[in-house]
Amino acid sequence: MNRAGFLALLPLIVLAATIVVVMLSIAWRRRHGLTLALTLAGLALGFASLWIAAPLAPCQVTPLLVLDRYSLFFFGLFFTSEFAIALLAYDYLRRHEVPREEFYLLSLLATLGAAVLAASSHFASFFLGLETMSISLYALIAYLRPRPRPLEAGVKYLVLAAASAAFLLFGIALIYAALGTLDFRRIAPALAAPSVPPAYLAAGFVLLLAGIGFKLALVPFHLWTPDVYEGAPAPVAAWIATLSKGSIFALLLRFLYSSRLLAGPAAHRLLLVLSLIAFLSMILGNLLALLQSNVKRILAYSSIAHMGYLLVPVLAGLRPAHRSLAVEAVAFYLVAYFLTTLGAFGVIGVLSTAQSDAGRIEDFQGLFWRRPLLAGIFAVMLFSLAGIPATAGFMGKYYLVAAGASAAAWALIVVLVVTSVIGLFYYLRIVAALFAPLAPAPSPRLSPASGLVLGALLVGLIWLGVFPEPMIRLIHALAIR
Amino acid sequence: MYSLLFLAPAFPFAGFIWLATLGPRTARKAVAAVGVGTIAASTVVAGLLAIAFLVAPPAGGAYTQTLWTWIAAGALRIRIDFYLDALSLIMLLVVSFVSFVIHLYSAEFMQADDGYSRFFAYMNLFVASMLTLVLANNLLLLFLGWEGVGLCSYLLIGFWYRDPANGLAARKAFIVTRVGDTAFTLGLLLLFHSLGTLDLQPLMHLAAQRWLPGSALPVAAAALLLGGAVGKSAQLPLQTWLPDAMAGPTPTSALIHAATMVTAGVYLIARAHVLFALAPPVQLAVAVVGAATLLLAGCSALVQHDIKRVLAYSTISQIGYMFLALGVGAWSAAIFHLMIHAFFKALLFLVAGIVIQALHEEHDIRKMGGLRRDLPYAFWGFVIGGSALAGLPLITAGFYSKGLILWRAWSSPAGGVVLWLAGMLGVLLTSLYIYRLIFLVFYGERKTAPVHLPGWRIKLPVVTLSALAIAGGFVNIPRWLHGVPAFTGFLHSALPPAGLLHRPGMSEPLSELVAALLFAAGLFAAWRRFSGRRVPRPAAGLAGAIQRFWFADWGMDWLYDRLLVRPVAAFARLNRQDAIDSGYNAVARLHVWGWQALRRSENGRIRWYAAWITAGTMLFLALAVWR
Repeated sequence: MNRAGFLALLPLIVLAATIVVVMLSIAWRRRHGLTLALTLAGLALGFASLWIAAPLAPCQVTPLLVLDRYSLFFFGLFFTSEFAIALLAYDYLRRHEVPREEFYLLSLLATLGAAVLAASSHFASFFLGLETMSISLYALIAYLRPRPRPLEAGVKYLVLAAASAAFLLFGIALIYAALGTLDFRRIAPALAAPSVPPAYLAAGFVLLLAGIGFKLALVPFHLWTPDVYEGAPAPVAAWIATLSKGSIFALLLRFLYSSRLLAGPAAHRLLLVLSLIAFLSMILGNLLALLQSNVKRILAYSSIAHMGYLLVPVLAGLRPAHRSLAVEAVAFYLVAYFLTTLGAFGVIGVLSTAQSDAGRIEDFQGLFWRRPLLAGIFAVMLFSLAGIPATAGFMGKYYLVAAGASAAAWALIVVLVVTSVIGLFYYLRIVAALFAPLAPAPSPRLSPASGLVLGALLVGLIWLGVFPEPMIRLIHALAIR
Repeated sequence: MYSLLFLAPAFPFAGFIWLATLGPRTARKAVAAVGVGTIAASTVVAGLLAIAFLVAPPAGGAYTQTLWTWIAAGALRIRIDFYLDALSLIMLLVVSFVSFVIHLYSAEFMQADDGYSRFFAYMNLFVASMLTLVLANNLLLLFLGWEGVGLCSYLLIGFWYRDPANGLAARKAFIVTRVGDTAFTLGLLLLFHSLGTLDLQPLMHLAAQRWLPGSALPVAAAALLLGGAVGKSAQLPLQTWLPDAMAGPTPTSALIHAATMVTAGVYLIARAHVLFALAPPVQLAVAVVGAATLLLAGCSALVQHDIKRVLAYSTISQIGYMFLALGVGAWSAAIFHLMIHAFFKALLFLVAGIVIQALHEEHDIRKMGGLRRDLPYAFWGFVIGGSALAGLPLITAGFYSKGLILWRAWSSPAGGVVLWLAGMLGVLLTSLYIYRLIFLVFYGERKTAPVHLPGWRIKLPVVTLSALAIAGGFVNIPRWLHGVPAFTGFLHSALPPAGLLHRPGMSEPLSELVAALLFAAGLFAAWRRFSGRRVPRPAAGLAGAIQRFWFADWGMDWLYDRLLVRPVAAFARLNRQDAIDSGYNAVARLHVWGWQALRRSENGRIRWYAAWITAGTMLFLALAVWR
């Protein structure tokens, strides 16, 4: 590895070093505040190092990782989100009698996995990143061991993720058997060879999709989502909803667009499978949330639907002419989705007590009359999820529709729009509960750290909704080679 | 100096923001300081602008301040522009000054009210909107102010929202004016569609250039604008909301429903006078509406029992005079009367407020009487304001402003004998109803003892407005009295002078003399009938029927109720289970079924989940690989 490669890799190296430092500091002395400070400092440093890496992009570092603007963009997104989650988790964990410091260690490790995923251009790094992330998540989901729910959720996730990882590995093996390469960018040339067995390729892709679909909670691999979201501590649920899904999505997009697998043999059938998944995810995700009474589960179902929405531009961008708009749409939507989801889970975390996480819709009943600020933030987050104008969610959805329309994917757009309307119902149901005239229990105060994070998310959300131009300009430069 | 212009609406708006956000947590004194202080600041700005305007008039008689571009879409470019010419300067002065004294009055009047800061928040928003309305340089911005004052009017009529009747009155006011607003909106669209701009000055210029007088487009556009003006200014046939609007606090009635907002229609027509001059039929309609309204409302005022409703009908009737003036092309006479009316009508409402508060919220004049010694301020305020309203010759301002209108109704080319006669009859009615009120309230037997006496913040506005109700007329002493009509002269830079057509048989002094005689007749009749110790009994027979008919505002409410309200309500009741809605309900039910079916898949069993993953994969494999 030469000097340029080393510098380009600096964000990942800083993050890895932060993990080691945090681990050593825990071994030396258990101090919650110190661990948080080290975590935040490491993330800030990693974020700053993006500016060192940026001039060198695009840069292939070993066959495994590619550091282009696309991966750097996602690094920035992941680091910022992890920063916010760490701050939110600080308040959350203070209320619980568990060892707190390892949370940061694990979530940093998972972030490293997510970053590797965003940068990987090779099945090997893909799998390494995925497992780094997944294994950290098993522990994170079950982090509150004294409670039965998190443990149950952790075990469920472990078993199902392990199983789907097996599917994934088998899919990779089949693709390798068909094409003789694990490098994404070598797939396209290999496809041109006349001796490619299409059945291997198709089966390999479907199995790969099963593995990825599990992580993204796409229908029919989605059933774990509500249980895990409900059981996991609020910050961890936020992590799963944002970084875990965002990183896999970044990888999926890169894989599809740089391998051009869906332009090869058996493409239309694979396209059919992918479209079917998109349709089912949008419809089932929204329908499942309809009368759900637990807010964490609603958010889980809504995430299924949102991942379905995100497949619309992915499918639209399979033709190279529409690719850049598709990448833009996905990137913008993910930013909006990250902001919104972090905010929503942040509010849930703030309202959670040492006994249980806030979840039931009754926990939010009349929140506005007790904590108007908190309820206001939550309401805006829900509006954004529903895609109401002047929020980032609206701009994101607009982008999705624009990307879909540019490729004339009308069926997908119609389903997207119709299911969004269904979605409006359950988001507004929560909003209605927020303003209901009932105030049963006192709720915890908003601490400065959480307040800062939620305030920043709110500002970002509205800023992106009203004045999205700077962000658009930033993501305009993203391109998948 | 002129660059201060934007501050005039900005101060009250800032006050509104403050009071709306921090008001409930602010002490009453601070609320009053903010509420009154911001309006005082606006008044000072208006005064400075007036001095600047007199000392160094802007080039072309008008100054335009561009703040920013509000909307830019294709050919439509709407800027936030303020326009200051002689007309808007007068309006600015009147609105800010009258608002200031009424705010000062309110600071004491509303002292005991729970919604103290809410009241001032609404009132400040109102002043900001009203000033935006009068200063706007394009019709859309004017419309923004127009709707803003409408909103504040709604909020303030329903200010004591715990009583459902007040809420109903507020809704009525909002809906009835909305009818006019719809016409106004259509007028805006028509103007923009046919002339391509909404900026007032270019618009008027283009209209005069492109349109022939009396052709269809200007007539349609002017008629639609007239619809808006009629709604806002409570003229026939949309006048029914104003008497009910008296449900609001008395300072609100004084400011919004007497002095300023309800005259917005007059201002709109004066502003768009070029357009109306291009549409002679509509202008005639303005005059006819004005004449009819002033008579009908004058009759209704004669038989009301509620002290504020008398004044409300009087307002409708006086605005009728302004419309009459506009209709005959005497633009500046209308504005002159608008200003004088703002002074004396605000005064009358404020002293009515004193009486009402002194008698424990008693509104019925039949239960009042003999209050002239107990409430001297109220008494003298009523005498001065009432005399100005009725037009006591030579001394009071109302004599000059109304006399000018009457003379123009005779002498201008668009005028005529009928309009003049209607105006003259109105003088008799006015004198009769206002002195009836004064005699009933302040003379005769004392029926209720006053309990509450006003402090300086109430007295000072009363004294100030009393002075203006007298001296306000001296700015425009007609030539036949060897005076200088300075006010109308000043306005001529913005509004063209009325034309003169010699009709034999009448001269200006003679017209004034007739008005003075009718005034005296009204006063005398009222004195004979109402100054005694006993309240006259309600008349029986035909006279009683007429009284009841007038009392019910010529049955207009009844008519609208039967014609519009009931059918609509009946239809709504009939369609309670909305026929079209049932289709949507079916869709909703379908989704709920879908949810019920799907949620069984979430049973929490890990083996079931794994089975789904496997089954899904198998299905997709089959789809992808099967040939």
